[in-house]
Amino acid sequence: MKLDRRNLLAGGAALATVPHFGREAFAQTRAETLRYVTGAAVNTLDPTMPGSTREAFGISVNVYDRLVSFGRKQRNGNWVFDIDNIRGELAEKVDISPDGMTFTFHLRKNAKFHDGTPVTAEDVKWSLDRAVSARSLAATQIVTGSWTSPDQFRIIDQYTVQAKVDKPDRLALPNLCTLYAVVFNSALVKKNATAQDPWGQNWTKDNAAGSGAYIVEAFKPGEQVILRRNDAWVGAVDGKPAPFRRIIAQTIPEAATRASLIEKGDADLAIDLQPSDIDTLVQRGRVKAISTPQFNAFTMIAFNMKIAPFDNKKVRQAIAAALPYDAIFKAALFERGAKLYGGTWTDKPTDASFPQPMPYKQDVEKAKKLMAEAGLANGFDTFFAFNLGAAAFAEPIAALVKEALADINIRVEIQKLPDAQISTMVTERKLPFFVETSIAWLPSTDYFFRNFLFGPQRWNYSGWNDERINELAGKARFETDKAKYDAHCRDMIALMAEETPIVMLWQPNQDAVMMRNIDGYTYGYHRQVDFRDMKRA
Amino acid sequence: MSLAAAIARRAGRRTLSSIPALFGVIVFTFLLMRVLPGDPAVFFASGPNAGEAEIQMVREQMGLDKPIPQQLLLYLKDIATGNLGRSMNTGQPVVTDLINRLPASLELTFTALLLALSLAVPLGILAALRPNSLVDHGVRFLCTMGVCVPTFVSGLLMIYAFYYLLGIAPDPTGRLDVFASQPPVVTGFLLIDAAIAGEWESWAAAASQLVLPASTMALFVLAPLARMTRASMLAVMTSDFVRTGEALGLSRRRVVLVYALRNALLPVITIMGIVFSTMLGANVLVEKVFSWPGVASYALDGLLTSDYAPVQGFVLLMAFIFVLVNLLIDVLYGLADPRISIE
Repeated sequence: MKLDRRNLLAGGAALATVPHFGREAFAQTRAETLRYVTGAAVNTLDPTMPGSTREAFGISVNVYDRLVSFGRKQRNGNWVFDIDNIRGELAEKVDISPDGMTFTFHLRKNAKFHDGTPVTAEDVKWSLDRAVSARSLAATQIVTGSWTSPDQFRIIDQYTVQAKVDKPDRLALPNLCTLYAVVFNSALVKKNATAQDPWGQNWTKDNAAGSGAYIVEAFKPGEQVILRRNDAWVGAVDGKPAPFRRIIAQTIPEAATRASLIEKGDADLAIDLQPSDIDTLVQRGRVKAISTPQFNAFTMIAFNMKIAPFDNKKVRQAIAAALPYDAIFKAALFERGAKLYGGTWTDKPTDASFPQPMPYKQDVEKAKKLMAEAGLANGFDTFFAFNLGAAAFAEPIAALVKEALADINIRVEIQKLPDAQISTMVTERKLPFFVETSIAWLPSTDYFFRNFLFGPQRWNYSGWNDERINELAGKARFETDKAKYDAHCRDMIALMAEETPIVMLWQPNQDAVMMRNIDGYTYGYHRQVDFRDMKRA
Repeated sequence: MSLAAAIARRAGRRTLSSIPALFGVIVFTFLLMRVLPGDPAVFFASGPNAGEAEIQMVREQMGLDKPIPQQLLLYLKDIATGNLGRSMNTGQPVVTDLINRLPASLELTFTALLLALSLAVPLGILAALRPNSLVDHGVRFLCTMGVCVPTFVSGLLMIYAFYYLLGIAPDPTGRLDVFASQPPVVTGFLLIDAAIAGEWESWAAAASQLVLPASTMALFVLAPLARMTRASMLAVMTSDFVRTGEALGLSRRRVVLVYALRNALLPVITIMGIVFSTMLGANVLVEKVFSWPGVASYALDGLLTSDYAPVQGFVLLMAFIFVLVNLLIDVLYGLADPRISIE
C-alpha cells in the first residue's frame, strides 16, 4: 500500500472509531442486561432435586415452561400473583369438565424446546409422569392437588393431553402451575438417562432441557447463572419474547454490598436486602423499592404442644396475651410487613381468608390470670430458639419475648441454632417454643390448615393434631360450593384462635429494591423474581 | 553431603511421616461431623410435606442410612479413588468445587501475603533500627489497628470508601467483572491465565478486583509479620557478629541487609508459613464480604447446613496444604540457614 496522506487519515479515522464502537456496544448490552444480585445461591438447574434452593426455583421458572401459569393482579398498588386466575403457558386452552375432574390441555403448536424440537403431548405426559413417579420434591407437592399416578395423564393426540383427578380437588389445576410441574424435553433427557437413573435426574441437575423464555448460557453453582433470551419463546401473555436480552443472577453474600451495588447502578435488582436499610436507601433517592407483604407467608411463634407445659391450652393463651406485639413488630421488622395480630373479631372471623389478623393483643392481667388457672402462677423455666440465619429479625423478637414473659414469671433462656440443628430439633419436637416463618405456594385456607396446622410433617411446627381440623380441612378441600367452603374455613380459623397452637405475628414484606428505570416486578408465589415480567423503562 | 541432597532427604522423610497425620485428620473430621448436632437429611428434605419418607430418601441419597463404621469405610474407599462425595449446597462433586475454588483462594492469599511481606519486613526493620522512636511507635500503631479491626469491618469500610464514595475500585463482586471476558482456564489463577492468553484487559480487570480484598487481608496479618521481624532484628542487631561487622567498618547497609537480615528472617519464615495456612482457611469473612468464590466460604456454607462432604473435603485439603507448606518452610530454612541441614 502506498503511504500517502489520504490513506493515513482514513486509517487514523478508523482507529479513532474502534474504541467508540466498543463502548457503545457495551452500553447497549448493559441496558439490555438485567443484573440481579442475591445472598443465596443456585445449586441446581432441576427444581425438583431434593435440596434445591429458592434461587434455583427462580431460575427454573424462567428456563422451563409449565402447562399453565398464574396470572397477576393488583394488591394495594403492587403486582402479585393470582391463584384464582390461571392462564395457559404451554397450553393455549384448558377445557375443564363440568364436574371439575377432567382437564384437557390443548398445546400451542408453535412451542419449541431450546434445541428447536417441538413441544408435544408426549413430552408433557413424560414430564408429568416424572413428577409423580421420580424420587424428587415434585411428588410430595403435587399430591396436594390429588396427582399421584401416571395413569391420570393420557395423550389424546400430538397436541392434546388429558389429566383426571378422582375428586374435584380445588388445588388440582393450581398445582400444575407450580414450578415442580415443569415440562422437559423428554427425548433429550431420555438420551441422558441411565438404567439406575431412568428419569435422567443426574443430568438435569447441571443441564436444562426446557422451552422457557430464557436459555442457560453459563451456570456456576454457588456463584452465578447467566441467561440468554429465547427469541422463539411463545409462552407470554402477548406472545412476545421477554424484554431483557440477558440476565445475570449473581450471588453476593453480603447484604451491604448488594445495597451499594444497586445504589451505584452496577446492579439492577435485589429482593433480599436488610429491612433496616431499605428506608435509608429509598430516601437517598437513587433507587426505588416495591414492598409487598408476603401474603402467602406468615411469621409465627410456635408452641410445641407435645411437651409440658405447652400442652396446656391456658399456658399458650397466657403467652399469647403477654406478648408486646407492637414493640416486637417495630423492633424486629421496622414495621415492614402486614400485622397478623390485633384482629377485632371475637367468636368467628368475618372472612375466610388465611392468614388474617388473629384476635390477640397484649393484656398482662389476663395472662397472669390464665397462668394461675393453669396452676403455674409461679411460672416455669424454658428456652426460646431461633435460626441463626434469621438472627436479623429473630434476635429482637427473642429479647422482647424474654422480657415480656418475665412479667408472668416464665423464665426464658435464648438459644440460637444453626440451620441443620434447628431443623433436626424441630422435626424431633425437642424445642419448647420458637420463631419460624411458613410459606405456602398455594395460599388457600384449607391448604394452610392441611400442611401447617395438622399432621405429622415438620411444617406443622406446633404438632397440633386436632381431629376437628382434619375433618373440616378434608371437607373444604373437595367443596365446590364457595359459601360452604368459607364456612368450613371460618370454623377452622376460630378453632385455631381458641386453641392457640401458634401465635402469628406478621407477614414480612418482600422488599424488591431496584434501579429507578426498572419496571414490571411481580411478587410471585415462589418469592423469586420472574425475569420474564421485568423491563427497563 | 550436598545441600540439595540433604534437603531432599529431609523433605522425603517429612512427607512420609505426615501420612498418619493426614489419615488421622480424615477419620477425626468424619467422626466430628457426625457427632455435631443436626441431621442434614432433615434440613435438605424441604418439600411441602417433608415427611419421614422424604427425609429417608435424602438420607439414602447422602449415604447416611448405613451404620457409621460402614460409612467410614466407604468414605475411605472413595478418597482412595479420588472421590470426595457430592455437595448438597452446590449440587456438584466436592472435587470439582475445590478445584474451581482453590485457585481463587490461593491467588488472593498469595497476593495478600506478598503485599503484607513487602510492607511488614521494611516496617519491622525500620522499627528495629530505631527502637522507641516515632517510627517504631507509628509501626506499632498501624499493626495494632490492623489486628484490632476485624476483617469484615475493614473490608466493608474499604468498599464504602473506594467503591461507594470515591468510585475508583471496581464493584466488589468476585474475581472478575461480570461484563469482562473470562480468559481460557489453564491454571485457574486468573492473573496467570489472562497473561498466558495475552488478554491484558482481563488481566487488569482481575488485578483490580484483587486489590481491595488483598489489602484487607494484608492489613490483618501485618502485625505478626512486622512484629516478628522487629523482635528478631532487635535480637540480631545486638549480637556479636553485627558488632564485629560494624567494627570492621562494613557499611551500615551491608551489615543490616546482608548479615543481620538473613539471620533475623528465620523466625519470620516460620510465622509466614503459619500465617499463610491461616489466611487460606480462616479468611472466610473476607471471602464473604467480597463475594470471593473461595474454599473457606464454601466450607462455612457446608458447616451451617451440616453438609458433610464439603466440610470433610475442605479439612482434608487444608491438612494437605499445611503439610506442603511446612515442607516448603523446611526447604526455605535449609536455604536461609545451612546449619539446619546438618544432621
